Amino acid sequence: MPALVLAGIACWEVCAARRDATSVPGDAAWQAAAAAVRAGYRPGDLIVFAPAWVDPIGRRELGDLIALPDAARMDAARYGRIWELAIRGAQASDTADLVPAVTEDHAGVRVRRYDRPPAVVVGDVLDRAASATLSAPPPATLPATPPGPGAHPAVVLAEVGFAPHRCVQVSPAPGTPLRITFPAFPLGRTLVGYVGIADVFTRRDVRSPVRIDVELAGRVIASAGAGVDDGWVRFTATTPPGPADVTFVARAADANRKLCFAAEARQ
Amino acid sequence: MTVRHRAIGWALAAVTLILVVVNQRGVGIARDEVVYMQAGARYAAWWTGLVTRDHGIDERSVTQTFGGPNPTDNNREHPALMKTLFGLSEQLVHGKLGLAGEVTAFRLPSAVLHAVLVLIVYGFVLELWGLAEAIVAALVLIGLPRAVFHAGLACFDAPTMTLWFATVVAYFRALDGRRWPWQVGVLWGLALATKHTALLLPFALGAHYLVIAWRATRPDPGQPDRPGFGRGLGARLRAVLGYRGRVIVSLAVLGPVTLYAVWPWLWFAPIHHVRDWLAFHLNHVHYNYEYLGRNWNAPRFPWHVALVTTLFTVPVATLAAAALGAGVWISERVRRPARAHRGAPVLLLALSFAASIGPFVLGSTPIFGAEKHWMPALPTICIAAGVGVVWAARRAASAVRRIPAPAMIAGVAGCVVLAAAAEVVVAEPYALTWYNTLAGGAPGGADLGMNRQFWGVAARGVLPVLIADAAPTGTTAVYTHDASPAWSIYQHQGLIPTTLTDAGWEQAGIDRSQLAIVIHELHFNRHDYLIWASYGTVQPVFVLCSDGVPIVSVYRRPGK
Repeated sequence: MPALVLAGIACWEVCAARRDATSVPGDAAWQAAAAAVRAGYRPGDLIVFAPAWVDPIGRRELGDLIALPDAARMDAARYGRIWELAIRGAQASDTADLVPAVTEDHAGVRVRRYDRPPAVVVGDVLDRAASATLSAPPPATLPATPPGPGAHPAVVLAEVGFAPHRCVQVSPAPGTPLRITFPAFPLGRTLVGYVGIADVFTRRDVRSPVRIDVELAGRVIASAGAGVDDGWVRFTATTPPGPADVTFVARAADANRKLCFAAEARQ
Repeated sequence: MTVRHRAIGWALAAVTLILVVVNQRGVGIARDEVVYMQAGARYAAWWTGLVTRDHGIDERSVTQTFGGPNPTDNNREHPALMKTLFGLSEQLVHGKLGLAGEVTAFRLPSAVLHAVLVLIVYGFVLELWGLAEAIVAALVLIGLPRAVFHAGLACFDAPTMTLWFATVVAYFRALDGRRWPWQVGVLWGLALATKHTALLLPFALGAHYLVIAWRATRPDPGQPDRPGFGRGLGARLRAVLGYRGRVIVSLAVLGPVTLYAVWPWLWFAPIHHVRDWLAFHLNHVHYNYEYLGRNWNAPRFPWHVALVTTLFTVPVATLAAAALGAGVWISERVRRPARAHRGAPVLLLALSFAASIGPFVLGSTPIFGAEKHWMPALPTICIAAGVGVVWAARRAASAVRRIPAPAMIAGVAGCVVLAAAAEVVVAEPYALTWYNTLAGGAPGGADLGMNRQFWGVAARGVLPVLIADAAPTGTTAVYTHDASPAWSIYQHQGLIPTTLTDAGWEQAGIDRSQLAIVIHELHFNRHDYLIWASYGTVQPVFVLCSDGVPIVSVYRRPGK
């Protein structure tokens, strides 16, 4: 009996090793799936891939349809149509809880299109970074990112939680809140934002978390903290529609924290 | 051991050597390997100069070649033995004899030592369990895909497995009471001179020694005390220490002396330099390592990293056979304790396994090198597999009397070895991306979030693509990412023209480049994003895959 089991396992392994090695759809399948997407693609559509490790192959086939802001999006809420190319039964986090309008299979590459009412974005901090102001740090404190009043925060494409995100990146001085104010920021009914720590190496070397508060008329309407392993952390607040000064207060306990955040005002 | 037995052992070793040497030809240059090759060339030149009396032994030349004021000067953070052998091999096999290319010559000592390991395992098992067990143990050892990969690099991980196990076997043999057990001390010294992990070995040998010496010096209640075998605790401890005291002396004296002899950096200020060496590893930076879907770069690490990684990187049939073998050993020990070998070889193998893999259960030991850091555990698994296969086959033969035992052993062993061979074929040359069928192969490993690769070896696979995409005239700057240290060697090998230049590091290098590569590891995603921002596109022109799993992306600057 043990010999039979051993021989059985071995035979299974011989077959399975080959099967595993060829279990990922090849270039022809990807090209067919990409052709299907191109046939139905409209400007403004989002294209995503699952599982995450197959992303380079997906971008190779359809990267020309993925603009940088789409690849480095805050989240997928503003997209009314999402194309998902997936293998091995995986699903992208962007399409969780959505029902596909179209499903096709191209030799193992499953193409699904999800249609849904997009979030209507009335204000985006990334579009308004040039008009944002940074608070001056106390005289005794060396400024990290902000050189002083009148400076604007940087919008960068950063790695946060091993994913790409366009975000406002600041480095608050340790223990000193850094206030980033967006004057007359157009608000909708909700403000949705995310915060995280950029750069895997600073996350490794400095382990303390960061924190962000959102203030409206001197009142904190949303808060979120992000630790080194938390990735891109969501926060939301209900807001009165209309323009208002919105301030993001960034805090870090240690120097050289690359705090990244993005936020959208949605109707 | 008969002539036939010896011939089989040498044949197995020869097969190993050929397999490793042939396989490494398709394996790219590992980042750390470049450092070891360069240091090895300098070390070898120094030794050659010493022998030819071009120079003597003086602190200045030793420091310039083997050390320096900073922790990584002349790669002084790693002992010199293997690097010296890499350099001597390159001098002789490539430079003088012209028998192999430069890189192959550098890597040859690792391959030879891996063949030696197969020979040692074979001989040890033959002596203790029998020919069939020995052959199977050797064959499944040859069929370890990750070991084949590491044995083909001019690095320390496969050699340290050999010298670790050689020390274990030498220690075991030294317990026969021989007058001069020098071998165990010298081999441990060579293991120390290969990699600091050999410092763990005394934990295994010490524990084993205490057990067998305690047993051997147990007073017989039916007989009067023998001289030196007293009943008091003090007398008993003295008896234990004196049981094979020369083995302890050999380890304690010849080990450090050998390390000192082959590492000139220790010849001046040895205590200071040993302290620096150990401090470097005790305070080693935690590199990034993906495990079960999460990037780990700071303790505490999961206690199960080493166990799960081993479970996914040894062929499944070998693991199953090893589990059977371990069961056989335990069963034998319980059922027939009187027949147990006095030297307790199974206990020794178990302790060797535990000492090698144990530190990685603590949660604070760096895990970034995965199985290469606990490779000395592998011989124990393979020996157990050899015992398990033969036991299962013999049991089957006794039940099915039509098939003689040798045929049954050949059949079962053939299946297990074939499974290992199938995994080796699938795994190479990108064995760091490979996982066994329990994990679902490379794609399954990717699904599970297991580490994709390290050291940038996969870059070699996209060199033809870069050549094809380069400008037809003039130079083309390439962002070479983790292959940067190996770039000049690839050029020297003729794998890429010198017109494909290394653009430099990080954002500045990317901004200068017309072509860029990203070697995929989770924490390297940032390089994709730096390239996107500079090139204005997220679309690679080529993606190199291993069994469908992306391992390297190539980008071309639009409008080039």
